[in-house]
Amino acid sequence: MAARSENAESDGSPDLPDCGDAIDPTTFEQILEMDDDEEEREFSRSIVYGFFDQAEVTFTKMDAALDTSDLPTLSSLGHFLKGSSATLGLTKVKDSCEKIQHFGAMKDENGTHDVTDRQRCLQLIRDTLKKVKVEYKEAEKILKRFYHEPDMPQ
Amino acid sequence: MGDLRARLKPLFRRSSTPSSPKSPKPSLAETPAGHPLGDGRNWSKTSLRLAKNRKPSTVLPVDEIKESPPQLPPLEHIETESLGREGSEHTPDTSIEAPQSPILEKGNPTLTVEEPTPKTEVEKEVVAIQDPGLLAEPDARNTIASQRPGIAHRRQSLAPSSQSSLINELLQSESPQLQSTTTDYFGEVLPRPKMPQHKKIWVKRPGSSATQVTIHEDDLVDDVRDMILKKYANSLGRNFDAPDVTLRIIYRHPSGRHSQTERTLGPEEPVSKVLEVHYPGGQSVEEALVIDVPQRRTPKHSPHLAMPYYLHDDLRPRENGTDYFPPMPVAGTHSPHLPSSISVSSAQGISHHPAHAMAVLTTGQLPNLPSPGARVARNSQHRPKYGRQHTSSPTILQGAANAQNHENLKYSNPAPMPTPPIPEESPSKAATPPIPRVSSPGPRPKAPNNKRSKKQVVQTSTDAASVRDGAVPPINVLIVEDNIINLRLLEAFMKRLKVRWSTAMNGKDAVTKWREGGFHLVLMDIQLPVMNGLDATKEIRRLERVNSIGVFSNSASTTPTFANGDEIDQVPEEEDSLMNTALFKSPVIIVALTASSLQSDRHEALAAGCNDFLTKPVNFEWLTRKVMEWGCMQALIDFDGWRKWKDFSSQSNQNNKPSTSTPLLGIKSPKSTSSSAVGGLPNANANNANTANNANGKVVPPGMGGGKKKKEEREGMHLGLVGKEKVVGVGVGGEEGLTGRERDGSDETTGTGTDTNGDSEGK
Repeated sequence: MAARSENAESDGSPDLPDCGDAIDPTTFEQILEMDDDEEEREFSRSIVYGFFDQAEVTFTKMDAALDTSDLPTLSSLGHFLKGSSATLGLTKVKDSCEKIQHFGAMKDENGTHDVTDRQRCLQLIRDTLKKVKVEYKEAEKILKRFYHEPDMPQ
Repeated sequence: MGDLRARLKPLFRRSSTPSSPKSPKPSLAETPAGHPLGDGRNWSKTSLRLAKNRKPSTVLPVDEIKESPPQLPPLEHIETESLGREGSEHTPDTSIEAPQSPILEKGNPTLTVEEPTPKTEVEKEVVAIQDPGLLAEPDARNTIASQRPGIAHRRQSLAPSSQSSLINELLQSESPQLQSTTTDYFGEVLPRPKMPQHKKIWVKRPGSSATQVTIHEDDLVDDVRDMILKKYANSLGRNFDAPDVTLRIIYRHPSGRHSQTERTLGPEEPVSKVLEVHYPGGQSVEEALVIDVPQRRTPKHSPHLAMPYYLHDDLRPRENGTDYFPPMPVAGTHSPHLPSSISVSSAQGISHHPAHAMAVLTTGQLPNLPSPGARVARNSQHRPKYGRQHTSSPTILQGAANAQNHENLKYSNPAPMPTPPIPEESPSKAATPPIPRVSSPGPRPKAPNNKRSKKQVVQTSTDAASVRDGAVPPINVLIVEDNIINLRLLEAFMKRLKVRWSTAMNGKDAVTKWREGGFHLVLMDIQLPVMNGLDATKEIRRLERVNSIGVFSNSASTTPTFANGDEIDQVPEEEDSLMNTALFKSPVIIVALTASSLQSDRHEALAAGCNDFLTKPVNFEWLTRKVMEWGCMQALIDFDGWRKWKDFSSQSNQNNKPSTSTPLLGIKSPKSTSSSAVGGLPNANANNANTANNANGKVVPPGMGGGKKKKEEREGMHLGLVGKEKVVGVGVGGEEGLTGRERDGSDETTGTGTDTNGDSEGK
């Protein structure tokens, strides 16, 4: 995870100027504060890139679970990714993951009411998963720019 | 002197001259009030006022003298009143003059109104000459005396002449009796057959003032004891039964035929007879029967917990002590724990002052202590005391003390609890004097304030890195989190806080780790693989119960913590028994990490046995507060152990530093290093360390504590978030943050109060 140190060169990290509503700056800055070195940002970088890996893996798992219509697994995967995305302040991703969690548990998107139609739940998850991937990409772009990822087109 | 006389003379002369033409007028003025003789005091006042208002119109036209004394007309009225009142009510004033007026009246029982005029003038002259030394007061008094005859007649003019003799009789016969009320009242009353059966006798407790109790003619000492208990309903009645009370009579003439000076009365003796025998002529105050009660040695404070405050409030000397704890045994260290917990808890009607309470109850002597009861705030006199309390109460610890206090009242904790941050905080505390003044004594208005100041402290100290340097108690935390990202962040937080931590990735792992012992705090994610956080919590609580953790530390009695107390005594099953119970002195604090936005999930967590919860994503400030709060509470509970532990850990910390700052990746447990270091200690120290380690939990009953905690928690949540959001502006940000939080209340983002949240919710 921390292997991507080739991007370490930076001229004072911009404090997420245009992250919009994809990232909650308060939460994210809290992680940045944990960095011992503001140039290297070793800790937050490892966290963020760790999350990227985790998200990719989770999305893959979700796709697989969708194929097998495994709602409980989808729910727990949703919850899992929800936790880390919330920690990073990726609000949108987190919200979508929570919805997936609820749908997987045969609930409505707020988790308050039961949904009896399995197929409907699967469909909702499918839609939400598409959405969350987009949201994730958006957040990833911002974050990678923040860490001056060279291979990301500016 | 001469000046005075010169002033007095015209004054009197003038007052006498108009008296004759004016005399019908006062009687007119009296007519509205003159109807009754019995309408005493109120009436005289109104008439006085009336007279004052009336005076310019009536007197001034008559007078040519500029400096017309305003007292004169009113004084006349006062006199008339007091005389008119005399039949019904006796005031000290009237009893003084009473002997005089009858004499005058006797001389002229049915005199006309005009007649006294010359006489009074002469009298006035005499008085003025006799008594020139007295200034304004004699002025008034002389006029009173001088006016009296005229008034007496006026009064007589109101009362039928047939009654005047009756009044005279009354005045003569009653006044001596009244004057000597204290000495021979009973002497007078006793022989009278027509008097009712009730009478009063003097009793007193040793060293205090006497009081009267009503008894019947034929009452026995036994009955008197009942009456006494009624009279001393608070100090004796609550604590003693009638048979416990003994009455002593002290002989009036100790040298006489009695060899002793006092005697204890038997319960069967008739009181009035005894008193007659021993105090012929009646019992005086000094001869009050002495009430003796057995000294109780074993205080049982639970029944009297709430009650002594009534006593204190009513009876304690006001504004006396400059020291907060004058009579307290000096316990080596200053103990801020006491005031702080009281200021909070007493607001809830709970006292933590068994010692003082018992001092009152058993000795009958009031301690010099100001009661730290919160009701004090009602009385303006008590304000300073309240302020002192606040000054001496450590802000940071209040939350913890509060929790300890109301959740574990019975836990007796003699250990003094000095707290490092007090000195710095007292100014900020003292700077808020209006709070006790404004607010009612209820805990509610205080709570937010505490929060706020606590917040300030946390914030400043966080920034100043003082938190990391020792203000945060060196506790041992078990982080249970399945998501590696979250886990690593939490680990980073722990590292920043300089506390030891271990990690577990699922519930089962968590239970296993916990069984090793030595944890103060568990940060428990709820949704976990293999065994979820709730089940893990329940399992930990079950094991604690089965192994009697947290129960035995209360030497007193069973805590209310476990409703099913029978389970406590069971010998744990082989598989359930913990290896080293010395490491489990108290229940661990379990803080649930709830990513869920649902209230029901939180309730579920609390019901499972969590003490507290944090909402994900975990905020660092907030986590710090939790660690502070719970850690400080543990320090409160077992300070000595904690201090030793701390001393040691500060040493070992330096040694361990390299090992704890190992790469963050991976789930390394630094606990192993430090615990092995603890193991290297001598036994006593190791025990202390363990005590400290485990001290935190004993306060918190798994379900209840968490429930109580919850509200606080949510408030804390707001403030913590605000702190994060606006690191500088505490006060202003508070409102915003709060509303932001409320708005996001249903959302799991835990309302960092940003636009991002609002927008995403809108979707």
